[in-house]
Amino acid sequence: MSVAGKEKEHVKAGLWEEAGAEAYLVGSSCGACGEIFFPKKESGFCPHCQHKSLADARLSGEGTISTFTVVCQQPGGGFYKGPVPYAYGVVRLPEGVNVQTLFTGCEPEKIKVGLKARLVIEELFEEDGSIIDTYKFAPVL
Amino acid sequence: MKSEAKTREVLIAGIGSNRWGYYPERDSFELAAEAIIKALEDAEIEWKDVQAAFCGSVYQGTGSGHQAIQEVGLTGIPVVNIENACSSGASAFRLAYQAVASGLYDIVLAVGFEKMPKGPIPSTAFRPWQLKMGFNVQPANYALETREYMEQYGATEEDFALITVKNRRNGALNQNARFQKPVTLEEVMNSRMVATPLRLFHCCPLADGAAGFILCSENKVKSKSKAVTVASAVLASGVYGEEFYQCGMVGSAKFHPEEGIVEMSARQAYEIAGYGPEDMDVIQVYDSMASAELWDIERLGFCERGEAPRLLREGVFDLRGRIPANTDGGLIAKGHPLGATGCGQIYEIALQLRGHAGPRQVEGARTGLCHAMGAGPNSSVTILKK
Repeated sequence: MSVAGKEKEHVKAGLWEEAGAEAYLVGSSCGACGEIFFPKKESGFCPHCQHKSLADARLSGEGTISTFTVVCQQPGGGFYKGPVPYAYGVVRLPEGVNVQTLFTGCEPEKIKVGLKARLVIEELFEEDGSIIDTYKFAPVL
Repeated sequence: MKSEAKTREVLIAGIGSNRWGYYPERDSFELAAEAIIKALEDAEIEWKDVQAAFCGSVYQGTGSGHQAIQEVGLTGIPVVNIENACSSGASAFRLAYQAVASGLYDIVLAVGFEKMPKGPIPSTAFRPWQLKMGFNVQPANYALETREYMEQYGATEEDFALITVKNRRNGALNQNARFQKPVTLEEVMNSRMVATPLRLFHCCPLADGAAGFILCSENKVKSKSKAVTVASAVLASGVYGEEFYQCGMVGSAKFHPEEGIVEMSARQAYEIAGYGPEDMDVIQVYDSMASAELWDIERLGFCERGEAPRLLREGVFDLRGRIPANTDGGLIAKGHPLGATGCGQIYEIALQLRGHAGPRQVEGARTGLCHAMGAGPNSSVTILKK
């Protein structure tokens, strides 16, 4: 898919699906023990109960922030090409799974533990003429 | 999980270290060789009598331990390289200990060493997409844990800053520390923010350095007065459901374990050694960030969860306190050569138990504990006694 002549790519294939205007994260749920994983497990094997009993799971789009940090320096290695400072942390989804995520859509100082946050799909950064998209969560202020 | 097999007592006969610092003109194998030769001299044991070598490092590449052994002498013995992130040194020590305890060998070498890598650091602790997302900033990952600790127990940035002040004060008494000048609380609190709430002076600096040991069975020890006994050496490499942000792992919401790897490795180490936390005279804990020292002290069983900041302010963890912690300055003052750190902690405990820690000496120290973490995840606990 391309936008204004640029190719768009997911930061990793299969992290989310887009169904019309809605996007949802794709995880795995275990039919034997009920555990939920994000990202999904390619192997279909549950590392909690060791049964080969995983199925794809559509995850909910709003959760609660359980921890966060605002990063004030460029990460080493040159892999991350987004803006600095940037915020990331963990959101707990109501079905019982923690998701590590970037935060977006508000000033970093406004982020607090306990706030709700909603899934968005947006640009991570541009690389070699392609736009790399990713999932993020936007705190609800 | 203790095996029924009989094991015999293992002693540290010799210890060696260099001053950790920044040595752009020295290669990692030169740093390692220096520590090995010092350990041999300290043990008064000939290199030809050493039967195996266990070498811990993280970023030094293929055959890095072999490079160091080439400088000491190739004698046909097995040389194995161990990489367990920041637990590499402790893991190398543990394998060396097991090699003698099992009766397989009488005299072995364990060495940990590291040289700060230049340029992009290959980081397979994280998946490639996590690297692109910017999740691989270790101070930021510790900051996530720190935020949780603050929310749960009310700890403050100043509590963490006081750890830095304590460790830099101790480091000023350690000739092998990278930084040998104290810092004030104001300097720490005014240092630049790295990843909220952690500031530059809350974070340990990297360093180049090495530390090594000759371990042997009781009948091979030359100097009984210097020998220190290994009471236990334990490694727990992750339990299902426990978060470990330093390698991109979130906790399980549904199946979070009751006992995490720090508690587990400590419990096993105490059980095997026949001790409890109350028996430890001196401890070296993993202060890669100042905040981590506080919750690790708690998780190792030295006080209730959330209590460490109050005890810190009461002086309990000072050199002259009831539970002297990071008497050598910790990672914060020494620096953190990843593969060497676990060995550096053991080095300090050995020095303390010998009574050779000079101005840092904890009077009458007869038992000591070291704890190191590492992306993996890993938690290693080593208990020594005299």
